Amino acid sequence: MSLFVESVGFGFVTASVLALASVGFTLQFAVTNVLNLAYAAVMTVSMYAAYMLNERGVSIWLSAPAAIAAGALISVALNGLVYTPFKRRGSSPIAMVIVSLGMTLILEFGTQAVAGPTNVSYSFSQGATVRAGSFDLTVVQLLLIAISLVIMAAVHVLIRHTKLGKAMRATAANPDLARNCGIRTSRVVAATWLISGALCGLAGLAFGINSGTFGATSTDLFLVLILAAVFLGGPGEPYGAMLGALVIGVATEASASVIVSDYKDVIAFLILLAMMTVRPQGLFGARV
Amino acid sequence: MVYYITTILVYAGVDAMACLGLSQQFGIAGVTNFGFIIFQAAGAYTAGVLSLPPDSANGGFQSYVLGWNLPFPLPWIGAAIVGALVSVPFAGVVGRRLRGDFAAVALLVTAVMFNLLVTNFVPLFNGAAGLSLVPAPLQSAVNPQSGAYQWGYGAAAILLALGVYWFVNRITESPYGRTLRAMRDNDAVADSLGKDLRALRTSSLVIGGAIAGLSGGVLVGFINLWDPQAWGYAETVVLFAAVIIGGSGNHRGAMLGALLVPVAFEEATRYIPPVAGNPNLVPALQWVVIGLLIVAFLWFRPQGVLPERRRRLATRAPSADAEAALPNPAAGGLDAPAGGLDAPAGGLDALAPPVDRGRLPHAAGGSAVPERTAAPILQCRDLVREFDGVRVVDGVSMAFERGRLTGIIGPNGAGKSTVLAMLAGTLEPTDGRVLLDGEDITGLPAFRRARRGLVRTFQLASEFKRLTVLENLLSAIPDQRGETLLGAVRGRRFWGAQEREAIERAQAMLERFGLLGIADRYAGDLSGGQRRLVEIMRALMAQPRVLLLDEPMAGVHPRLAHQIGMSLVSLCQEGMTIVMVEHELSIMDEFCDPVFVLAEGRVLASGTMAQLRATEEVVEAYLVG
Repeated sequence: MSLFVESVGFGFVTASVLALASVGFTLQFAVTNVLNLAYAAVMTVSMYAAYMLNERGVSIWLSAPAAIAAGALISVALNGLVYTPFKRRGSSPIAMVIVSLGMTLILEFGTQAVAGPTNVSYSFSQGATVRAGSFDLTVVQLLLIAISLVIMAAVHVLIRHTKLGKAMRATAANPDLARNCGIRTSRVVAATWLISGALCGLAGLAFGINSGTFGATSTDLFLVLILAAVFLGGPGEPYGAMLGALVIGVATEASASVIVSDYKDVIAFLILLAMMTVRPQGLFGARV
Repeated sequence: MVYYITTILVYAGVDAMACLGLSQQFGIAGVTNFGFIIFQAAGAYTAGVLSLPPDSANGGFQSYVLGWNLPFPLPWIGAAIVGALVSVPFAGVVGRRLRGDFAAVALLVTAVMFNLLVTNFVPLFNGAAGLSLVPAPLQSAVNPQSGAYQWGYGAAAILLALGVYWFVNRITESPYGRTLRAMRDNDAVADSLGKDLRALRTSSLVIGGAIAGLSGGVLVGFINLWDPQAWGYAETVVLFAAVIIGGSGNHRGAMLGALLVPVAFEEATRYIPPVAGNPNLVPALQWVVIGLLIVAFLWFRPQGVLPERRRRLATRAPSADAEAALPNPAAGGLDAPAGGLDAPAGGLDALAPPVDRGRLPHAAGGSAVPERTAAPILQCRDLVREFDGVRVVDGVSMAFERGRLTGIIGPNGAGKSTVLAMLAGTLEPTDGRVLLDGEDITGLPAFRRARRGLVRTFQLASEFKRLTVLENLLSAIPDQRGETLLGAVRGRRFWGAQEREAIERAQAMLERFGLLGIADRYAGDLSGGQRRLVEIMRALMAQPRVLLLDEPMAGVHPRLAHQIGMSLVSLCQEGMTIVMVEHELSIMDEFCDPVFVLAEGRVLASGTMAQLRATEEVVEAYLVG
C-alpha cells in the first residue's frame, strides 16, 4: 500500500512536468490549429541549452533562463519560418503533421550530432527528503511541483485577466472574426508561440531534472504523454490540459506499482487512443 | 563484394514493396497510416516464428510463440496473411469521424505502443533482443552463404517487388482505383455518391498490410534476425519520406522513392568517413538530412519527383459547331458576366431539349397538369436540427411529388441547405423523420441513400480536384463492375466493356453541355461556372430518382442557367424528381412548381410562385423589392 502511495507522490511530480508541457502545447494548438509534433524536440534542445551552462559549472537553477529562452526562440522561429509559410500556402493538416515530424528529426538529431550519443545528466543536489503529508519527496521534487503550480496560476491570470489572454481566446475561437474586430491576430499568434515556447523550454528543463539522465531522443515517449494529457482535457483547452496532466501523471506512476513498471506508459497510450476514438474533443472541449 | 550487391538488391526489393503498399494506402486512397511499419513488423515476426523451431531449440536462449519450423514458402504466405489481418482493426481508427491529422497521430501512437509492448513482453517475440537465427528459406537445400543462393534471393526480392508493382497498378488503374482517389480528394462527396467509405478504406489497408507483411517476411529470411529497433517510428518516417519524395499517387514514384531514400541515401552516407571526435556524427546527420528532405520536398515539390499521371480517357474530340453555339465554356465563359447580356447565338435552342412550353406544370392559368401518382416520393416530417443550442431548422415538414421540379427559397440563414443535407443524409437531424417512397430512411447513411437513388449536390465547390472531368463523371455511376476490389483484380477483361459504355455516356453528357473539350482537364483547374456544371452532370450520371440540388445556378451565366433549367425540366418529364434550393427568383418563376419558402427554420408558405408573390407574409419576409 505504501508503495502505491509513494508512486502517487511521484505521480504528482510527473504531473507537474507534464502540466508545463501540456499547457504550452495546447495553447499553441488553440491558436494555430496545428498539431506541433516537434514540441518534444524543442524541449530536447532547451534541455541541452541548460546543460551547456550546467556542465560548465553554472547552477541548474541559474541555467533555467537559457532553457526558457531557447524554447521560446526556437518555437517562434519554427512558427515564422516553417508553419506559417506552409499554412499560408493552404497545406492540409496532414502535410503539417508530416512537416512537424521532419522538424523533429532535424532538431533532435541535430542536437545529437552536436552533443553526441551518450546520455548526460544535470549536476545538482536533490536536497533533503521531506515528508509532505503521506509522501516522501525530495526538496527538488517539491520545487518542481511548486514551480508548476505557480506557472499554472500565471497562465490562469494570463488567459482570464489580461488583454492578451482575451485576444488569444478570441483568435482561438474564430481567427477571421477576431481579425475583423481589430485584433492583430498575427501578433497574437507570435505572442502565443513565444509564451508556449517558453513553457516548452521550462518543461524541458523540468524533464531533464526529473529524469536523471537524458539523451537527444528521450522526450519521444514523453510526447505521447503530452498528447494523452492534451486530448484527455480537450485539444486547445488549457484547463483541460492541466487536469489531463494530473490524471495522466498520477495514472502512469501509480500503475507502475500495480503492473510491471515497464508498461506504465501504456496506460497513457490507451487513454489517448480511447479519447481519440470516443471523444476527440476531450472532456472540456467543443472543437473536434 | 557479392554480398554487398545482393544485400542492396534484397533491400531494394523489400523497400520497394513496402513503399508500394504505403503508396496504395496514402497516395491513392488518402489514408495517412503512420502505423504502417507495424504491418511489416508483423509480417517479419510471423515469418520468423513460423520458420523457427520451437523456442527450446538452440539452447533455449530465446523465447517466442509458435516455432513451427515450417518450410518455405509457408512463412512468407503467413507473413502476408498476418500483415493483412493486423490492418483490419486499424480501419476502425481511420474512420471519417476523426480529423485527418488526429487519426494520423493516433496511428503513430499505436505504432509506438506496439513497439513498447513487444519490447517488454518477452515471451511473445523475445522482447528487446528480438528473434535471431531465423532460418533462411530452403537452407537445407542450398547453402545460404553461397553466391548462387545470395543472387537467387536478390533476384527473388526484385521479382516479387515487380509482381507487387504489377498487382498494385492493376487495381489502381481501374474503377476501384478511381473511387479510392475520389475518396482521397473529397470523402464527403464520395459518400454522398454512394461509395462505402469504410469498405474502401478497409480494403485499401488490407492490401497495403498484406504487401508490407510480405516485405517483412522476405527481409527477415535474408537477415535472419528481427528486433524492435528495426521498426521504430523513425522507420515509418523514412518510408513516408520515400513515398513523398518519389511521388505519392504514382507507383513508379513510390519505387523510385524506395531506391532514393532507404537505399541510395543510406548507402551513400556509409562512405562518408566517421569524424574522429564524434563517431555518431554521420548517422545523426543522416536523420537531419532526411528531415530536411521531407520539409524541402513538401515545400518545393509536394507532388514528388514523379507526380501522379493524368488519366486521359476521352475517346472523342468535340465537334466544331456544337462548341460554337454556346458561350464558350472551355474558356470559362460560363460565369455570370459583369456587364450586360449579348443576344444569344442561334444555335442555343438546338441544344435545349424539345419541350412544349405550354405543357410545363406551371403554365399560367393552364390546367394541363399531367397525372401525378398520389404518394410523394420524398418527404420529411418535423425535421429539427440544432447547432450548439440554436435551432437552425425548427420543425420542417415537406412533401415532394414524383416527377416534379420543386423549389426551396428563403433568406440567408433560413436553414435551406441544412434541410437539404438532412434529406440527403449528410447531416443527422436532431429530431424528425425522412421518408423515401414511404420508407423511413432517417437512420440511413448518405451512401446508402445514394444507392437507393437519392443524390445531392453541394453548395461549395466539391469536385474531385485531382480527377479529370471525365473521371469525375465516371465516378458517380452506380454499380460499376470494376469498382470492388475483386472486380479490379479480375482486370480489364472483366470491367472493360462496361467502362467503355460508361465513357461514351459521360462524353455524351459532356457534349450536351458543351464541355467535351475539357474532358481530360483536372476538375480542380476549372473556372467556377465550369465546376458547377461538372457537379450537376456528375450527379446526373448517378441516374438518381430524386436529385437534390444546392444552389446549382450560383455563378453560372444566365443563358446557361436557363438551358440547365430546361434540361432539368425535361428530366422531370422523364420521371426524375428534382428539389432545388436557389436564390434566383427568375429560375423559380420559370421552372419550379411548387415552391417552398423557408424562413428562420420553418416553412413559411408553399405553392406556385404566382401564389407566393400574392401572399403577404412571404413578400414581407423575402420578396421585398
